[in-house]
Amino acid sequence: LRETELRGERKKRIGMFFHMVLERNMQLHPRFFGRSLRENLVSKLMKDVEGTISGRHGFVLAVTGIESIGKGLIRDGTPFVTFPVKYRCVVFRPFEGEVLEAVVTTVMQHGFFAEAGPLQLFVSNHEMQDGMEYQAGDIPNYTSSDASVRIQKDCEVLLKITTVSVVATEIFCLGSIKGKYLGLLNDRA
Amino acid sequence: MSVASDSPVHSSSSDDLAAFLETELDSDSDSSSESFPIGQAQDDDDAQVSNHRLKRQKLEYPEDETENVASVTFSEEISEASSSKVPCEHPGTFGNMCFVCGQKVEVTGVSFGYIHKGFKLQQDEVTRLRDIDMKALQSQRKLCLVLDLDHTLLNSTVLRDLKPEEEYLKSHTHSLQDVSGGHIFMLEFMHMMTKLRPFVHSFLKEASTMFVMYIYTMGDRPYARQMAKLLDPKGEYFGERIISRDDGTVKHQKSLDVVLGQEKAVLILDDTENAWPGHKDNLIVIERYHFFASSCKQFDHRFQSLSQLKSDESEPDGVLSAVLKVLKQTHSLFFQDGGEDLSSRDVRSLLKQVRKEILKGCKVVFSRVFPTKCQAEDHPLWRVAEGLGATCATEVDASVTHVVAMDVGTEKVRWAIREKKFVVHRGWIDAANYLWKKQPEENFGLEQLKKQGTDDVTVEK
Repeated sequence: LRETELRGERKKRIGMFFHMVLERNMQLHPRFFGRSLRENLVSKLMKDVEGTISGRHGFVLAVTGIESIGKGLIRDGTPFVTFPVKYRCVVFRPFEGEVLEAVVTTVMQHGFFAEAGPLQLFVSNHEMQDGMEYQAGDIPNYTSSDASVRIQKDCEVLLKITTVSVVATEIFCLGSIKGKYLGLLNDRA
Repeated sequence: MSVASDSPVHSSSSDDLAAFLETELDSDSDSSSESFPIGQAQDDDDAQVSNHRLKRQKLEYPEDETENVASVTFSEEISEASSSKVPCEHPGTFGNMCFVCGQKVEVTGVSFGYIHKGFKLQQDEVTRLRDIDMKALQSQRKLCLVLDLDHTLLNSTVLRDLKPEEEYLKSHTHSLQDVSGGHIFMLEFMHMMTKLRPFVHSFLKEASTMFVMYIYTMGDRPYARQMAKLLDPKGEYFGERIISRDDGTVKHQKSLDVVLGQEKAVLILDDTENAWPGHKDNLIVIERYHFFASSCKQFDHRFQSLSQLKSDESEPDGVLSAVLKVLKQTHSLFFQDGGEDLSSRDVRSLLKQVRKEILKGCKVVFSRVFPTKCQAEDHPLWRVAEGLGATCATEVDASVTHVVAMDVGTEKVRWAIREKKFVVHRGWIDAANYLWKKQPEENFGLEQLKKQGTDDVTVEK
């Protein structure tokens, strides 16, 4: 991860998926002790962590393995035991300046919403090529002045992330299709 | 506040950078932003700039402008570039960023969660959008219609509450694969059964030619979306305009603040008057649709529900059909004359106008309907009757056409029978109110009421 971070600091941001080791303190009730202690710990970990968002690391997509499970400590006053668990997982994080593909979900007067996996993005109409106009109607869309490009729901677009914002446990991004090679990729199937 | 939690970019940047930032931010505001090294990677620049902003947004606004101008020369992708030409008005937010310029701003404004999660618009922007919407609607000759779901367009029940005599319904349910034309649906995954009101498909089809329609329900979002799929499988009537209780701004209340249409062009159809405290003039109250027994129970009614009686509302003569006529009438009044200046038309006063046609020409006297203590003119029933176009009076005379009474023994009733005037109980007025049509007086005669048989010397109004 270190290497990727260093490389990422320079002009080009590399991808958005990281395979990294995270740590979490897992609390377990004694009823889960015994032969299947490790199993219980791992399944609880996966239930707790997969699909969640960490402000620092982004979306935790999947746990791939356990690095180590530390010694359990009994919490004072309760029967619960806390185990520090180090686990390997795949995380997905948006970076400013990153270019990625997204699918358009909602089109409005101000711009369109798109999603790239679990990530929600918004592209304002100020961040589109000149000449893209909003067309209201049954299927709202953005059409270029020469009608060659039409962006509507379910279209794939290539966009560049301009701002990333983490609010509580949500990640919101603003994007732009104003550069070269950005914009509509395919018409919906 | 730690930098890491604030902006994800920094948390993965090198630790030295994080430390550098900490010191920068902790030191004097002005000097640090000035001396800020612009030679860094462009993207860090963005994030750093927005980070500064988060800490001191109000004070530093003019300074941000200069930084923007500096940034523009380095990268044209920075969205703040737009603000260097014209200061951004921040019409709304996505998350906690202005969705136009990306600046972190205070999150105020009306939440439009049904359009997209995390999406908010400022009040000025909402007004601006409403004006645009008004023009668009006028060019299409359409108004806005907000529809309630439960007891208005359909009736749902939890499977657990089905009575034994209702079990026969399970074999009548329509397939969920192709919902068109179906009226009763079993939704196992939600543990529910739903019955659509008779005439609803024709109603929606015709109404959609005159109105842009919204769903506004007190159910939650998944329920609202599922019902919309049953009523509107192609998404042609409602689109994304499905407002659920998760999207309302005030708990247990509905309001037009999240509807992007001007109030003078919106009509509401709902069975509960009290749900719309601020918009009673836009509201058409509809009779509740009680198909399932659980629905009757919910409102403490003792009569049997339609499912228990194995019957249903009439399609052509039912409530929805009557309401559709009213909608058509109001719509044609609004767009009458095809004049250019529709900005003076208000759907609320037109609705009142349509209502006043119902009992036009009737002069009504009430007998022993109001408690003695109260002022007759203030009584709701008096008001309703006047709203329906009737003239109300306290004393009888030759021009009176109807006497509304609760029992036969009063002087006014005896006078009415002598003079061959109509004698009805108050249900006659209520029915006219719900059905938007004058009802035949024979159906509301006093014989239907239990005879009171008291000879109280209560002074009657």
